[in-house]
Amino acid sequence: MKRIFYSLTIFLFLLLLYSCNNSTRKRAEFVFPESDSIPVNEAEKLSREAIDDIVQNIGSPVEMSALLLELDVPFIAEHLASVEQAENLSTNFQKALRLGIYGADLGYLNIYEKTGTAVETLSTINKLADGLRVGQFFDFETLKSLAINKSNIDSLLFLSVHSYNEIDKYLRENERGYLSALMISGVWLEAQYLACKIVDDYPHMDLKNRIGEQKIIINDLLMLLRPYNESSEEYRVLYNDFELLKREYSDVSITFTPGEPETVEKDGRLVVIQNEESNVVISDDILQKIIQKTEEIRSKIISL
Amino acid sequence: MKRTTIIIIYLLLAVFALNAQDQQQMVTDCALSIAGNTTYLKDFVIKLPEKSNQDNIPVHKENIYLMKKQKYLFTQCNADDSNGELTIELYDANNLITGSINKKSGKVYSSVEFSCNKTGLYTIWYSFKDGKNGTGVGIVSLLK
Repeated sequence: MKRIFYSLTIFLFLLLLYSCNNSTRKRAEFVFPESDSIPVNEAEKLSREAIDDIVQNIGSPVEMSALLLELDVPFIAEHLASVEQAENLSTNFQKALRLGIYGADLGYLNIYEKTGTAVETLSTINKLADGLRVGQFFDFETLKSLAINKSNIDSLLFLSVHSYNEIDKYLRENERGYLSALMISGVWLEAQYLACKIVDDYPHMDLKNRIGEQKIIINDLLMLLRPYNESSEEYRVLYNDFELLKREYSDVSITFTPGEPETVEKDGRLVVIQNEESNVVISDDILQKIIQKTEEIRSKIISL
Repeated sequence: MKRTTIIIIYLLLAVFALNAQDQQQMVTDCALSIAGNTTYLKDFVIKLPEKSNQDNIPVHKENIYLMKKQKYLFTQCNADDSNGELTIELYDANNLITGSINKKSGKVYSSVEFSCNKTGLYTIWYSFKDGKNGTGVGIVSLLK
């Protein structure tokens, strides 16, 4: 009977390891309770439900890049964050922020199918994820293989974005919202930075408007960071920087034009066209101030 | 008695582990089934009980930012053993924009394409047709 129990125990342990990862994830790690989570009473002033309400796709690693590609903006490698000093990062604060930044860079690389260059970024992300003990959600070997072979961009994009979603979810569900908020901020900031760097050379109206629309999102981003604002000096500095960026947005105007949606069936799919519109008014002067502040914050983070 | 309890705990753990694995596979299958002309953004695994009465159909709500001039695709997939068929309704604040079920014919669309013209926070309501119990996954992706 003992033998059966031992066998069952080993079987279940293996099964749990397997199921806690998706079909293509790493299998070797088991995550123990974290020492870097901030006590709930101290920091979680927002309910988890409220944070969940805010958090979905605030910082998408691919949406801004998809817009850039759609606008026929060429890929510009020099805008990517350097991965050289990433190994020297010592605090979880720095690692989580960088994880977000490199996530947006990875999205940019993948959307433009620069998968050869993506391997270096993948490797850095893998190390940072391991450092934050969320490496089990990042299947480096599969991602690397997909990137090198350039065999299946769709799978590469799915797996990389899905990994970020899973990391975010895991952090929030395990009272490490402190790190999730940083990662999301990093993703958002890098996407914003890419747009700001590019809009100078490619002043497309859609890109200007997309930067202006971030006025809506930065408020929620601040709400997400606020519970941890006083948890450390570096958190406070970051929060204040985002607060200053928000101020630069105060003269951006967003208006709405009402309209009824149209719905048609096309090729067995329901197609809905929204006729209500949001309209952004952003002067070149304000745009320049936003660009300057964004670059300043990003530069500060990258030099940490 | 002690052995029976331990065996039951083991079996429950096994069921949990297999269930989690199935869900991940369901997400991957659903997301990759629409790959090609879409870029994956988010997935939501939905598991809802049967309705308790006609006016109380269980709903799972998710908030999501949608951006102007982007085309989004909302795709719903059902688990093999799901009783209900997963449907969505998309709300802007409290205003219903669209739903995947044709109220007149009862036809359920597994995909809804949405051309967004207003940047903002939207709410997706996931439920199962006729309030049946079920398991499924909703994928939000960008149309290329």
